[in-house]
Amino acid sequence: MIDSSDGKETKQINLQKRFHYRGRFEQTLIYLGKLFRMFIYQNDWKALPMAALIAGLVTFVVGQNLYVTQEGTLTGCFALVCICVWNGFFNSIQVVCRERGVIKREHRAGLHITSYIAAHMIYQACLCAAQVLITIVICRIANITFPARGLVTNSFILDLAITLFLITYAADILSLMVSCMVNNTTTAMTVMPFLLIFQLLFSGGFFELKGPVTRVSDFTVSKWGLNSLCAIGNYNKLGMVTLWNTVFKFRNIEVEGEKPLLQAIKDLEQRNMVDEIVLRSGEYNQSADYVSTAANVTNCWFHLILFIVIFAVLAVLFLEFIDKDKR
Amino acid sequence: MVISLNLVFDVIEYALFSVGAFRVFKLCGEKGYYALIPGKRFFVLGDLSGRDEDGRMAGVLEVVSFLLSVFDGQFGIFNGDSRLAILFSIFSFTLMIMGIVYKMRVCAGVVRMFGVSRNWMLLWFFSPGLCLVIWGYGAHYDPVNLGKDEENAKVAGYAPAKIGGIEAQTAPSRSGLYINVRKRTVQEFLKKRYLLNNIVLTIPNGSLVLLLGGSGSGKTTLINAITGYEKADATIYLNGQDLYKNYDRLKYKVGMVPQQELLRLNDTVHNTLEDAAMLRLPAEFDRKQRHDRVVEVMQNLGLEGGKDGLVSKKSGGQKKRISIGMELITDPELFILDEPDSGLDGVIARELFERLRTIADSGKIVIAITHTPDRVIDLFDKIIVLARDANRVGRLAFYGSPEEGRAFFGKPTMESIVRSVNRKEEGGEGRADEFIEKYARMVAEAAGQEDGGKEAGAPADRREEDK
Repeated sequence: MIDSSDGKETKQINLQKRFHYRGRFEQTLIYLGKLFRMFIYQNDWKALPMAALIAGLVTFVVGQNLYVTQEGTLTGCFALVCICVWNGFFNSIQVVCRERGVIKREHRAGLHITSYIAAHMIYQACLCAAQVLITIVICRIANITFPARGLVTNSFILDLAITLFLITYAADILSLMVSCMVNNTTTAMTVMPFLLIFQLLFSGGFFELKGPVTRVSDFTVSKWGLNSLCAIGNYNKLGMVTLWNTVFKFRNIEVEGEKPLLQAIKDLEQRNMVDEIVLRSGEYNQSADYVSTAANVTNCWFHLILFIVIFAVLAVLFLEFIDKDKR
Repeated sequence: MVISLNLVFDVIEYALFSVGAFRVFKLCGEKGYYALIPGKRFFVLGDLSGRDEDGRMAGVLEVVSFLLSVFDGQFGIFNGDSRLAILFSIFSFTLMIMGIVYKMRVCAGVVRMFGVSRNWMLLWFFSPGLCLVIWGYGAHYDPVNLGKDEENAKVAGYAPAKIGGIEAQTAPSRSGLYINVRKRTVQEFLKKRYLLNNIVLTIPNGSLVLLLGGSGSGKTTLINAITGYEKADATIYLNGQDLYKNYDRLKYKVGMVPQQELLRLNDTVHNTLEDAAMLRLPAEFDRKQRHDRVVEVMQNLGLEGGKDGLVSKKSGGQKKRISIGMELITDPELFILDEPDSGLDGVIARELFERLRTIADSGKIVIAITHTPDRVIDLFDKIIVLARDANRVGRLAFYGSPEEGRAFFGKPTMESIVRSVNRKEEGGEGRADEFIEKYARMVAEAAGQEDGGKEAGAPADRREEDK
């Protein structure tokens, strides 16, 4: 209310025409355009050759036995998860915190945080998809043998691509959330290794977890990613070579002047029973987490999508507090 | 019943700390019983010694450790070889390390507060309680550095100084900018801290106003309160409309150029302004109107040449102009700039302020903060002088034309005016309270108020305290 010159209180006068300003959808498009421009100007494109380099190194080391033996599959799948988590983390760990001041200024000027995060999510989805494509191409170049059929889509490559995408994207949105939480890039880069170690240690597959700690792995992107990758690769139907290799190492042990293990190995090889033994030993190493059914794989995908949604919501909530930043 | 040595040590240490901190708090004018409350005692200690953030963290860690130990006593979570017990132990150990670090940082502040050797930190490492008992009860130890320097100034500001202040005498006018900031406070943990108090003035349209004041006097806080971005207990009217009540609509009528260059350096000048126009201009503006507006702003600010170059490649002056351009896009009625000339040489700064003069001449209100005012003071219509009172709360020390300001303060330059209200520790004359009261009296007299500048318990009380 305003005091008018004659002393009476008069109703507030709206001298301004009421305009409407750009809503969330239009703002998302504005920021999306900005992010794609930045992809070129700000060297974000370097994430793509980096993804190729990392995928190349990993497939060179662990690619040969991927989807051939259980051990090779577990190691290879774990390495693939590592690639995805690494790529995802590095894609977005600094994207928000490095321009926090700019966001605060734009928020003051009418920016919707949901639009800002939505633009980032769309942009990061494209980046993750490109990285997954590169990783799969590298796997093909490295002559990794893939199973003939997929479990969910009938195409193994498509199943693999969806899984790798969801792992990368979930890790990406997790680090986006962290980037929204922290105030500067130094803090973000300090937090990131802890997140990475947590994801890798608690994946539940490569490092054995027992007791209540196993429940912790349910909250990791890596566990559901690893389960999905092993499931689509028929992990439980593959042979386990560790037992045979161990026996082979002890083949020259002598008992009363004879070498019974060597004799047994020769005998089994002559009877073409090695593959059967490897497969039989694999049967004793099966895991319910890696059961090759479409239901299991879609369950893993569901968990990864759930993480993405939760991390995105939390990212928005954290960034909504940007006005509280101290100068 | 078996009592462990650890427990005995913990109890003794807790008792020593409580007894010592009780006395230290009393010496510093704080409530003694805070010393008994886990967490709170470190918060207060940190606050008193100018290490408020470290104190807060140390306090939080103490509370968490305390709760964990209670939890352990109840459920024995640290006992046994289970993985959960190991996990809790690791967590507890990590907290312990963090706790030691933050407590040592608090110690550094307390050592400074008492003016004792840093060697005391060694004893503090083993027994903070013993240190506090010695410092609290020892005849030779006094908290000499309490609140006497910039860092310790954080402890102040819990209430405005009891001196006369300007009161709102006038009703908001239909045109121009009416400012009545009754108070601006922040909640710090469990305490409310005053940043600003009683700032009342009206700025007519078409004015270029200089906001003056020393570091920490509340200049940026005031402009954030005026823009409505950090709301205060205030009434702000812009051309007859309540800015706070209509914030969502009127925020587009307020342009605020921050002190830092908050720009995306890897975007082009044109795209930066184009995006700003998309975001800030009403959706009713079509593509051509928007483009025309961007071109107009670029022309007005001399950004046409090199508009397709990256912002990162531009000079400091050009970046400032881009930053200003982002706000000018909406043709704001109120335009506020926080140190727009920082990092610019005299010629470029002069040119920048001349552009601001032109903007003001078009009927806008332009408020600018600068730390080098004298080179451009001839361009300004009014000056606002903010000063920290005895309790370091930002108050209005003067509002008027530059000539009136020189006469009011008896100083020839703007910089000497600022120096006169700055505290002595900052190299100033420490006359802030004198001018705050003088200005309040002047306004009261002008408004015909006989009791102006004589709030309950004011100047006389302060003089009593001074004695």
